[in-house]
Amino acid sequence: MESKVIDKMISIVGKDYVIDDIEQKMSYFYDEIEHTMRPKANEDSIVVKPKDTDEISMIMKYANKNNLTVVIRGGGTGLSGACTPIRESIILSTERFNKIIEIDEDNMVAVLEAGVTLFQLLEELGKYEGTGFPVHPGDEGAQIGGMAVTNAGGARAVKHGVMRKHIQGMEVVLPNGEVLELGGKLLKNNAGYNLMQLIIGSEGTLAVVTKVVLKIYPKDKYSATIVAPFKNFNDASNAVLQILKSGVTPLAVEYQDKHLFVETAKMLGTEWQANEGNADLMIIISEKTEDLLYETCRQINDICIKNNSYETLFAGKKSEQDELLLIRSQHYEYIKDIIGHSFDTAVPVADIPAYLKDLKDLANEYNTFTNITAHIADGNIHSDIVLVDGEMPNYAEELKERIFKTCFKYNGTITGEHGIGKLRKKDLKLQKSETEINLMKGIKKLFDPNNILNPGTIFD
Amino acid sequence: MDEYKGILVIAEQNDNIIHKVSYELLNKGRELADELNVPLDCLLLGDDGIHVEELNYRGAETVYYMKSENFSKPEEYLYKQNIVKFIDENKPEIILIGATNFGRSIAPRIAAALKTGLTADCTELQIDDDNNFIQVRPAFSDNILAHIKTVTYPKMATIRYKEFDEAERNVDREINVVKIKPYMDKYDEVEIVQSFNENDVNITEAQIVVATGRAIKKKEDLKMIKDFANKVGGVIGASRALVDAGMIGSVYQVGYSGNRVKPKIYIACGISGAPQHLAGMKESETIIAINSDSSAPIFSIADYGYVGDIYEIIPNLIRDL
Amino acid sequence: MNILVLIKEVPDMEKVKFDSEKGVVNRSSAESEINPFDMNALQSAIDIKNKYGADITVLTMGPLRAEKSLRDAYARGADNVVLMTDCRFSGADTCATSRTLSAGIKYLGTFDLIICGEKSVDGDTAQVGAEVAEFLDMPHAYYVENINSIDKTEIEVVIENICGSKQVRRMKLPALIGVTKNINLPKLPTVNRKLKSLEIDVEKISLDDLYEHIDADETGFKGSPTKIAKIVIPNPVERTGHIYKDDYVTFKEAIKKEIKSESTI
Repeated sequence: MESKVIDKMISIVGKDYVIDDIEQKMSYFYDEIEHTMRPKANEDSIVVKPKDTDEISMIMKYANKNNLTVVIRGGGTGLSGACTPIRESIILSTERFNKIIEIDEDNMVAVLEAGVTLFQLLEELGKYEGTGFPVHPGDEGAQIGGMAVTNAGGARAVKHGVMRKHIQGMEVVLPNGEVLELGGKLLKNNAGYNLMQLIIGSEGTLAVVTKVVLKIYPKDKYSATIVAPFKNFNDASNAVLQILKSGVTPLAVEYQDKHLFVETAKMLGTEWQANEGNADLMIIISEKTEDLLYETCRQINDICIKNNSYETLFAGKKSEQDELLLIRSQHYEYIKDIIGHSFDTAVPVADIPAYLKDLKDLANEYNTFTNITAHIADGNIHSDIVLVDGEMPNYAEELKERIFKTCFKYNGTITGEHGIGKLRKKDLKLQKSETEINLMKGIKKLFDPNNILNPGTIFD
Repeated sequence: MDEYKGILVIAEQNDNIIHKVSYELLNKGRELADELNVPLDCLLLGDDGIHVEELNYRGAETVYYMKSENFSKPEEYLYKQNIVKFIDENKPEIILIGATNFGRSIAPRIAAALKTGLTADCTELQIDDDNNFIQVRPAFSDNILAHIKTVTYPKMATIRYKEFDEAERNVDREINVVKIKPYMDKYDEVEIVQSFNENDVNITEAQIVVATGRAIKKKEDLKMIKDFANKVGGVIGASRALVDAGMIGSVYQVGYSGNRVKPKIYIACGISGAPQHLAGMKESETIIAINSDSSAPIFSIADYGYVGDIYEIIPNLIRDL
Repeated sequence: MNILVLIKEVPDMEKVKFDSEKGVVNRSSAESEINPFDMNALQSAIDIKNKYGADITVLTMGPLRAEKSLRDAYARGADNVVLMTDCRFSGADTCATSRTLSAGIKYLGTFDLIICGEKSVDGDTAQVGAEVAEFLDMPHAYYVENINSIDKTEIEVVIENICGSKQVRRMKLPALIGVTKNINLPKLPTVNRKLKSLEIDVEKISLDDLYEHIDADETGFKGSPTKIAKIVIPNPVERTGHIYKDDYVTFKEAIKKEIKSESTI
């Protein structure tokens, strides 16, 4: 990076908050996607850590005038490479934007700076009896700003939907440095196009999010996790469909291949307790009262039994539920060394059994296998291409395309929650028409005529 | 209850070696005895050949040595029968027992047999202005300190190992050992089939302890901590979270309910510093903490701290130190 | 074989709040649960039952709400659950508690084996088991990490660490054992059993039932030889330390110096 840019940045944010040392910069280059899938970062980029909206505005004005690329970095927990600077960039880290401005219990909203982590938010809400925030993408290091611009999902989408549903307002800085307030604490607001919703899910390409007004909710006081083992996936899947139809809404329904449950538990020094069956569901429920919880539990259990489940298990204690969740979430640690490419396609819930069969058949065709984990009740499937002798197999590109085409057969999408980022630009063209992509590009141009904000993300 | 008088320390021996907690109790016992102006005595059960005069050197006025080969391996019932008989005859007012595994197991049996009160794991013992014996003990994982009085006699307390300093050794003190016969030499209901030292892990003796906790994601990753410990010439320790998760044995546990350690250097890697953990290591001479959460309580007691991910920092330290 | 498991209901320790200014413990925000160490005790009984056959009774002393923990114990595999509840039991220290539990055990009949957990997470005294063994005049073993064998007359256990050694001990029954966390992995209840547990009757014992075994002044606050004089909630200790972030090199050099001065071993 040119020294005059560095000097300018120092004059805006101070010497301590501009980083050009390569060792220190390294941890700002990548998100959490597999090494084999990472776009290559431009190591001449520098990290700048502004403390407030004014500083961001100044940085953006300067960058816009001098045609400098800016990439915003939040918690770095993304899975699409969106925050990796592929050109020489100013990496704008929001880590100092970590103030919880207000928890408004009357209107049930939280006003947060963009760099507040999910962990921080949940911890703070813990102090307000009975309040909570439901969206949980798995990693609590995720920042609220990042969760907004990636429209984060996670396991609890079955009951609570995705991030988009919970944001009421935002403060953003446009690429030219202008500050905009969008939305607010209003529940109804129909004045013109909803630009805020456009920015949600824009993966850092339209504006820098600096503040978020987030809807918070009364927390369900009682929760339990049911482990339901089935003989085969079809039975499990039928049970899920019937549960959704029955009117009870679980917080999450998680599936992963049996060997992943068993081996991850072993890795964690514990034991997967469902010995029977080949297709296990983890059904998480939460309710306002204990009676309701058990009633929901009874209904779900009845449906499982009707669909030939083996004896279902009940985890009611927090520690027991946490352990199950850990086994579910840590499976990735168990397989990460063998994975070359991972997917988060989504298809309509009813088509999951057929889709999964197709995925397994496809893997068979290439003499390989795939690890399946899924937020099964919202149709979101994580599958993968495994490495061969530690290398990406030569059929990977071909297999990937066939996986996507299979998913389109069921009117699915190539990404349910991770987003396009820098990883799936090419793949997006398989799913979206030229017209649609061109409209997106037009919007990008309106917001960012000089294309300085996170270029090369979503499309080139 | 004037007939109850004096302070009795029940010493512990492991394979004929007197456990150091006994010397610590004699130190505190001496303080209390002087304050109350009463004698400080000591009782030890064991096999032949224990250097019991050491207990005199450490401040016990009379050492009662009850000898039997059946005391060489600890068994609570037999020990209890003999100790209770001894107490019935000698009537000490205050009885101190080390809160070692054996102490924690036998003390309640003795207390129940004597139908008297017992305060476990005291961290401080005091005599208040009215000459009441006050026992201070932490509860709720060390979050509170309860001050406890006992209204029956004798008053019994167990005290954690390493809570007090050892009494100074003074070989000029008079040797006064009274050998006594066991009241009961054998208990047929229990048989000790086997006894063996399985591991020599003793983190309480180490000069450098490298401890880790929740930040460790899986069992295999402990190797990194072990490598680090080897590199700096220390031994590995663990927080309760890690032990409870079954990732490492409880002999490695540092904390109020594990081992209390006071090494020269304590390196906490990815330990947030729950009160229960701090209680077991806060008296280390130098504390070094590495944690990704800059607000972790461990930093408030650390001499040196680094805010960062142990998975990044430790491999670097292994390379650089 | 008749097995009795002693459990205690404790607050979820992660949720208990401590006010160092007022010196009070606020349990109201915390849900109650079976003391985690007692889960291993219950599981030990279930494992014996599965292997050798047994009838498991779970006993606790506490307020009426402790029924909930007993239902949980039933869900996990207890055959009978019994609650000793009476306002005259309250305020008991470990001595009075053990005496009361022992009276309850005598009232319930004879048991071949009594199992308890290593300690409770709230009191942390580990006294009640050994005291019960004494009041019932039976041998006991603490820190049991394995049960090698058990039959009508005898049990053989492995004691994890006593006086610096592992010990294999054989005891005539009846006997009491305190088990460690390492002895087993507590299993989840089935949903069916959990739902059934909501409907069972929990047997209750009051002081009046125990007239043959205990006097009123031997239980509760009155029967407790230890009294709490006061509660102090300590402030956390602070050291003034050097905390580094991003500046790895300075940190490394600082601790290198410290470690060097010690690494003479």
